[in-house]
Formats: sequence, structure tokens, C-alpha cells
Amino acid sequence: MTNQPMTETYIAQSPSREAWRMFRRNLPAVFGLGLLIAIIVITLYGAFLYQGDPFDIVWAPHEPPGVTPEFPLGTDYLGRDIVAGLLMGGGPTLAVGAVAALITMVIGISLGALSGYYGGWVDNLLMRITEFFQVLPALLFAMVLVTLFSPSLWTIAIAIGVVSWPQTARLTRAEFLKIKELEYVTAARAIGARNRRIIWKVILPNAAPPLIVSATLTIGVAILFEAGLSFLGLGDPNVMSWGLMIGANRDYILDAWWPVTFPGLAIFLTVFAVSLVGDGLNDAFNPKLRER
Amino acid sequence: MTALLDISDLHVTFNTRHGRVTALDSVSLHVNAGETLGVVGESGCGKSITALSVMGLIPAPPGKIAGGSIKLNGEELTTASPARLRALRGAEAAMIFQEPMTSLNPVFTVGEQIAEAIMLHQKASHDQAFKQAIALLDRVGIPSPDTRARDYPHQLSGGMRQRVMIAMAVSCRPKLLIADEPTTALDVTVQAQIFDLLNEIQRDFGAAIILITHDMGAIAEMADRVAVMYAGRVIESARADDVLDHPQHPYAHGLIDCIPNVGKGDTSLKEIPGVVPPLHLLGDGCAFAARCAHADARCTREKPVLTDHGHHPVACHAIEEARL
Repeated sequence: MTNQPMTETYIAQSPSREAWRMFRRNLPAVFGLGLLIAIIVITLYGAFLYQGDPFDIVWAPHEPPGVTPEFPLGTDYLGRDIVAGLLMGGGPTLAVGAVAALITMVIGISLGALSGYYGGWVDNLLMRITEFFQVLPALLFAMVLVTLFSPSLWTIAIAIGVVSWPQTARLTRAEFLKIKELEYVTAARAIGARNRRIIWKVILPNAAPPLIVSATLTIGVAILFEAGLSFLGLGDPNVMSWGLMIGANRDYILDAWWPVTFPGLAIFLTVFAVSLVGDGLNDAFNPKLRER
Repeated sequence: MTALLDISDLHVTFNTRHGRVTALDSVSLHVNAGETLGVVGESGCGKSITALSVMGLIPAPPGKIAGGSIKLNGEELTTASPARLRALRGAEAAMIFQEPMTSLNPVFTVGEQIAEAIMLHQKASHDQAFKQAIALLDRVGIPSPDTRARDYPHQLSGGMRQRVMIAMAVSCRPKLLIADEPTTALDVTVQAQIFDLLNEIQRDFGAAIILITHDMGAIAEMADRVAVMYAGRVIESARADDVLDHPQHPYAHGLIDCIPNVGKGDTSLKEIPGVVPPLHLLGDGCAFAARCAHADARCTREKPVLTDHGHHPVACHAIEEARL
């Protein structure tokens, strides 16, 4: 061990700052984060720059990529610009992923926390409900929900959230079962903290690392889910998204590979980036991998 | 004068896979304002359960207060509402735990945690509470408290953390401070410092202290009165000097003999043979009978009751029959 200067040891190392320090050392994770930021900037900025409607028919259908300089990635079966679709469709795709992940976390953490903390009949009731949602095939259930409430970005995000919270609830419950037995929880009770405070301000911050990792990975899964629903024709028909592009062009996949390949690649890169970030966070929060 | 804390005939039971066991069997204790009561005994004899019962923190289920009463300032605690108990915890009675390593929340700074404790019971803004927290850290002898207040628990040593726990416990000036083996996890040199600090705190804040320990040395240094516990019962109760100088019960004898006498030429370490019997195997007789050199047939048949046989209250048939 080297002798560190005093000033450095005196800087308070908050757990989040420590995790960020670990994260920065993880090359794939930093690459994933860079890629994710690039994708977000390109889709937001690109959509801002691109004036026009990605649904507009602008050229002959099935123009291959690299032939006409105006349309570097070609056009789809109706003659719509694929670059426009990628730029304009990115925002909604990412938004659905983020909103669905948010809904997943809110439902999952609330139910899991109550279940794990209170135990007894609360736990029994909530876990039976969780199991009920878990045994339903997620994709079929989401399809039913979207069909019932007419496809729009909101209903799709809500449907994805509603079918994917059970895993988060179980994870949260497990963390709470573990942490509520620790001495600082008893200590918090001994100075007169009420249950609500102990759940949200004592246990939850300590359960945060695995939940943050899970939330990140959920975004990736939700994006894939949205693409899957769109592919099956259950996407929002009025909003361009990567999934919708694949879904609309899938019948002509043997005649033209590019209208489905580029949005597919975009989805792949996004989910890949999100997964790298999630894995990086997982490692960063894991004290066993932390060398001192 | 009425006692600050008056525990009488307290029974606490736990449901286990061996059926219902009695963790506390008619325990009676009292603590006067401003004094220190030492509770001694080996692991598993009910010291911590007594402390947790006072705080209303017995894990229920499986635990249950099956009978008796706990009165703090004349107020009955066993029948108090959860909200009332919560208001009393921290404000009237506070607790210091055994493991300073694990009894602080690792994700908040120590100043923040003390401030939170203050804000639970006092109307104070966050800034005021944090300033008070810094003052408390200063009071418990933490150097450069304004920097230390922004440290996380893992950045402090065990002794420092226990000081933080003490600062948090006294933050709302409780009248009763329960210290559950506060120095067991600390270095010997630090132990003395913590005891000094507790003594100072007691003088300044006028709090009564229940010191739970298995260390007779700590009792000698800290306690005014002592209750010796064994297998969920109080078996001897008197002024600390009396118990230390004239222990009556064979178990109390044994505990005192276990203190190594450095410098008296005796280099062997004494021990009490055997272990505390598991609670579900307690029979009708004296729980100590199996380990006791003076036990006879009556000891295995009949539980002795805490009575004064000339010196101070003790629960032992052998003393009652003057065989000892």
C-alpha cells in the first residue's frame, strides 16, 4: 500500500461517487455509456434537424442504399426515407423503453418493498398477485392489453410495464428481507423512526445498487419488447419507431433487406449499449470486485 | 422516590421450533434517575432481550411479552400504542448497540444520521439539526467534528463509530440510555475511553444508564448497582460493591473468579464449567444446578426465588439453607 497524501483520504467517499470511480475504470461500460449518449444525441438532434414527416413518400419504393446521395440508406416499400425513419423513430423508441422501465420500477419496488418489509399476510397476498402476473406469458398478455386499449405509445409503455414488474418486485423483496434484519435498521427503530421512514430512507437506499442495475437492463428489454409488439403489428401506427419500420417492411424482407436491417441494427446497438452500462453498474456496485 | 424505570415480573416468550420457550422469567429490575445499573451474565441469558423489551423492539412474532409490566416514568410500556412507543424511543429512552460497525447506515454521512435523529423528535430545520449534530460530535470527543460530520461510517474507526452512536443516542437528551455491550467489539484501549465518555455523558446529561455486559471489570468501573442474570432470571441483585466483594450466588462467584488477576502470581485463567442450558431444556429446578458445585436434590426440583438471606437478594437454595 502506498502512502497517500492526507488530503486525499479526507475527501468523503460517498457510495455513489465510489461506484462512479469504479465505473470509469470499466472500459466496456464506458464504451456502452458513450454509445448510448451518442444514440440519444443523434436521435434528438437529428429529429430536430430533419424537417419533415418520416411518413412522407419521397422517392421510388425500394431504392437500395448508396445509390441516390439524397437517400443514403435507401427507401422502404412505400418510398419513405429510411434515414428519416431512423432519426425520427429513435426518440419514441427510447421514450417507450424509458417510460416502461419507470413503470416497472415504480410498481415493482413499491410492492416488493411492502412485501419484504411487512412480511406475514401482506407478503403472502402481494406475492400471490406477483406470481399471478408471472405465470401469464408476458408477450401475449401485453398484446391483449395493447389490443384492448388501442395501440398508442402510452398504452404500449404501460402494457410493457404491467407485464414486467414481477421480477423487480421479487428482487426488491429479497433485498428488503436481507436488509431489514441488519442492525442499523433496529438502530433506526430505536431512535423512533416510523415504518415509512425506515422503508424509504433506511432500507431502500441500501437496496439501490441491484435495483439501479435492474432498471437499466429493463430499459433494454422494454425497447426489444416495443420492437416485438410493433413487429406483430401492434405498434402505434401514427408514430414512427424502429419497431414500426421493421414491422411495416417485414413482408418484403426477401425483396429488400435494407428497410428492416438498419432499424434492426439501431435497436441492437441501443440494447447493446444499455446492457454494457447495466453490467458496468453491476460491477461498480459490487464491493467484491473493488480493490482498495 | 419512584424509579425511572421499573420492570416487574416481566415474562417474555418466543415461539421456536422447540415450542414456546421462556426467554425472560419473572424479571424484576428498577433503575433510578441518573444511576447506572449493570446487567451481567453470559451470552443467551436474557440481557439483550430485557433491553429490547424496554425499547419495545422485541421481534414479534416470534417474541411476545407474556406478562408483567415495564414502567418508564410511571408510564406503562407493555400496553402502550405503537405510536406512543415510537415517540418515547430516542426521546425518553435510547439505545447503544454492540456492533458500531453495523449499527450505522452505510449510505449516509454520520452528521446526516444524527441530524435525522434530532429531526424525528424536535422541530428543527435541517441546518439547525446538522449544526447540533456537529456540536454533539464535538461533545463525544471526535476531533474536527465539522469535517467528520461529512464522513461516511466506513471512513471511521470502530471507536469513533461508537462515539457517533453515543452522540446519536443522546441527541434528544433521553432520561434512560441502554448500552448493550457497547465495548465488546472494540479494542481494550478504546473500551476505557468509551466508558469514560459514558461516565461524562451521564454526568452532563443526567441520564440513567443500563449497562449490559459480561465483563465484570466494566461493572466495577461503571455500575452503581448490579443485576446478575442467568437463563432468563435475575439471580442476584445488589449494589455493585456488594456483588463484587461479597458475591453470594455460585454463578456470581464464578463470574468474578473469571476476572484474571494480573500481578497476583496466579496465572491460570478460571472458567465456569459447562454452558448456559438451551432455553427449551430448562427444567423445574435451578437453571444453574447442572454447573453448580453446591447443587443438591432440591436444586434440580425447585426454582429458587430472589430473596434476601442476610446480605442482599439472591436466588439460591444453598445460601437459603446456609450450606454455603
